[in-house]
Amino acid sequence: MSATAGQMGPGPALRGDGRLRRRRLVNRLMEISASIAALVAVAVLAIVIISVASKGISSISIEFLTKNAPLFGQSGGGIANAIVGTLILVALATVMAVPVGILIGIYTSEFAGARLASLVRFVLDILNGVPTIVTGIFVFGLLVAGKAQSGWAGAFALAVIMLPIVARSAHEVLALVPKAMKESALALGVTRWKMVLRIVLPTAAGGIITGALLGVARVAGETAPLLFTSSIFANEVSTKPGGALASIPVKIFSLTEEPSPSAHSQAWGAALLLIFFILLLNVLARAIYARSSRRTTRAR
Amino acid sequence: MKTRKIGALASAALLMLGVAACGSSSKEKGSESSGASSGSKTLVGAGSTLVAPLITGDWIPEYQEKAKVAVTYGPIGSGGGIAQITARTVDFGASDAPLTEDEFKEAKGVVQIPWALAATDVAYNVEGVGNELKLTGPLLAEIYEGKITTWNDSKIAALNPGVKLPAEKITPVYRSDGSGDTFAFTNFLSHVSPQWASKIGHSTTVSFPVGIGGKGNSGVGADITNTKGSIGYIAIAYVLANKFDYALVENAAKKFPVPGIPSIEAAAKTLKSIPANNEATIVDPPASAPEAYPISTFTYALVPLKSPKADLLKPFLKWAVTTGQEFGPKLDFAPLPPEIVAADEATIGKIES
Amino acid sequence: MRRGLTDRIGDPTLRSLTTLASLAAVALLVLIVYKVFDQAGEAFSHFGLSFVWESEWNPVTKQFGAADFLYGTAVTTFAAILIAAPMSIAIALFLTELAPRQIRRPVGVLVELLAAIPSVVLGLWGIIVLSPVLLKTIEPALKSALGWIPLFSGEASPVGLLPAILILTIMAVPIISAVTREVFETVPGDLKEGALALGATRWEMVKMVVLPYSRTGIVGATILGLGRALGEAIAVTMVIGHTEHISANLFGPADTAASRIASEYLGATSSLQISSLAYLAAILLVLALVVNMIARLIVRRAHPKIPTTPGILR
Repeated sequence: MSATAGQMGPGPALRGDGRLRRRRLVNRLMEISASIAALVAVAVLAIVIISVASKGISSISIEFLTKNAPLFGQSGGGIANAIVGTLILVALATVMAVPVGILIGIYTSEFAGARLASLVRFVLDILNGVPTIVTGIFVFGLLVAGKAQSGWAGAFALAVIMLPIVARSAHEVLALVPKAMKESALALGVTRWKMVLRIVLPTAAGGIITGALLGVARVAGETAPLLFTSSIFANEVSTKPGGALASIPVKIFSLTEEPSPSAHSQAWGAALLLIFFILLLNVLARAIYARSSRRTTRAR
Repeated sequence: MKTRKIGALASAALLMLGVAACGSSSKEKGSESSGASSGSKTLVGAGSTLVAPLITGDWIPEYQEKAKVAVTYGPIGSGGGIAQITARTVDFGASDAPLTEDEFKEAKGVVQIPWALAATDVAYNVEGVGNELKLTGPLLAEIYEGKITTWNDSKIAALNPGVKLPAEKITPVYRSDGSGDTFAFTNFLSHVSPQWASKIGHSTTVSFPVGIGGKGNSGVGADITNTKGSIGYIAIAYVLANKFDYALVENAAKKFPVPGIPSIEAAAKTLKSIPANNEATIVDPPASAPEAYPISTFTYALVPLKSPKADLLKPFLKWAVTTGQEFGPKLDFAPLPPEIVAADEATIGKIES
Repeated sequence: MRRGLTDRIGDPTLRSLTTLASLAAVALLVLIVYKVFDQAGEAFSHFGLSFVWESEWNPVTKQFGAADFLYGTAVTTFAAILIAAPMSIAIALFLTELAPRQIRRPVGVLVELLAAIPSVVLGLWGIIVLSPVLLKTIEPALKSALGWIPLFSGEASPVGLLPAILILTIMAVPIISAVTREVFETVPGDLKEGALALGATRWEMVKMVVLPYSRTGIVGATILGLGRALGEAIAVTMVIGHTEHISANLFGPADTAASRIASEYLGATSSLQISSLAYLAAILLVLALVVNMIARLIVRRAHPKIPTTPGILR
């Protein structure tokens, strides 16, 4: 399919060899620039990942994963509190956002009329466009001012960011469940809620999980919403969301702003860990989605 | 049924637009309600990065061991210390800048307790000039105003005969967060340069005409490291830890004391009396103290007089201003003078739950 | 048919639960707007609308104006989009028209993965890897080639507008290219084949058929990317240098609204300053809402099937 363009012979208005050569040249140039653009994008991804991997790998050690920050002026130590904190914050955010998100997806795909569903989806899209630093200010005003920073506040801020992603992808996959499947179930006398729980959700499970994983991947790397809500944390592992919890992104942010090379290499190590985790989630999400969409297509 | 729902959603959306359109000016500040952090035996504090090495490096490990009270400290800058104690999101704040009258008013019943004594250094990253370049206050003011722009400026050269100054551009570095170092530094410049005092002034954040901003003392340190030709004001402990070149800054006696415990203590000795609010500013001490470093500063704990954590706070503060002082010198913190400790203990006694 | 109790309450329960969840999402958006505007109230009543165009930001005199930061936001965002939009369109063309079938998917996935890199990691990379390269080679080269334009005439600096613009470009490209690609895929095949059959080269076919057909969608996608760049705080604050002075110099330090909020909100010592930062946030929020609404309405009208939430799979 590649070599066909420009070789079809000149049309009536396209006489003259010079003209044709110029047109082919322009075509070639444009093709090359488009390919270069794609190459540049992939190269940037590669450069960033290779930078992070090459600068970060030497920091990854048992000590790095299990110890906390060293005392002032000393090197060594690790980011154990940030790893544990991120896991807890993200888990709490998931528990807050995923059930609500799925319910919204069910509403927009099963219960709401076309216009209402479209309105809710619009609101979700807008919610998705709220700058995350503004989400941070919102949660500070709502849950932190006059109280204290806490893991709960941080997790809630992350959940606000996660919700539209989960809900929108839930809607997309639920809407893919074949109508015939639903209608035959209803025709057999199955009630709507049983149809949703027993047929629609299981059929779309792969896609819903994918959406949730993508939501997790997205919020795991967020710094801005945690800056005002969960950034004054202890230099020790804490599992209590009643107080502020450390997190890998906030840790990277503060390590970057330090003068010592050892802090920078720790920042790279933390970045490597974070990127690895996030890319893994992305790959996993895509794999699950590819498998499950094969199934829905077959069912159709 | 369906129309009702559409109505509900539509009215919610309308409400949103209404709020967006007219905004809202209802004032509901968090400062009345109190009670930072749940959990029983924990104290949460935040603020000054100048004092952070002492708090996180020595006080917290020692005190946790001794008193079995978990203390968490967030080095978010002195401005953050003032802001967060005002918003009551922490149990104590820390600031190298004493509160202004307005800040006291907004903070509603917060007292300040000087609990450490240190200095703000002027560090630089210029190849080939070595350590201890001599600079004066008015000169620093001109550098930070963007009037002196290269290192081989004749005014710098005149102070440093024999030093080979490069024709490199000067990049001033300042703090992007609210900072007690900014307060001490700009306070000093306001003292020695009328021009600076009238045009820029002093505060925890000021509007610098030129330069780049770094977050916290660490961020300024990072910028100094990364930027050739940079100059920045930075807490003394960070100069020590990062082995920066630092300047000798001229004091009122026209001397160039080396920043360090003796010159900081000499500055603290010029303090005549301690006012009721414990404000103890020792920037630009008088010429009668020729050994005094001109940008020395006390740094304060900020605590609400009525705190639900009073029973944990009081012993911690008392320990910090007494036993805690022993840990200071190795980080270039000078021990508190006895009259300050006495004033502190009196103030601590007033805190109640 | 006789139904059990669970059956009778099951339907309304699920229906009301899902309705409630959807209402909660709407309420959340309302609450966000309310809370941010509420915090901005003091600054709003103090400075009024002139806050938007006043450029003094001085905590000493308690004069606060947003102009410098809105300028920074505008310059970084538009410059980033200026680079990102053509690049994204080119990528989308490559993926839909040029690339051999077996590499379309992997390349497409890789471009999308670019969006998965956390902003704090891009900021770290920007300040430690990118900025020295800019300082030592790119900025001097630009200056010597284009120095007669004020934009490129300033002193090279390790932090400033240029690294911020490039980082925002990296963030916008995956969003714009993903949506643009979907738009291109909706171009009817027979139109394209018709053009080719008439003797058009592939580029002429793209110019005559694909681009005109997708124009609205491309505009929508670009605005969507703009919305992303507009609100980015962390990566920008790590590389931009934090200064409150407008300058035409692309190499010099500046600041954006989002970045200023990130660096000052926790440490603002007067309630007026806190409120002014919230006012900045409110402006940012309104801009983001408007930009996103427009982008989504445009894309939705032209291509109702394409979901416009970046980061979800289809």
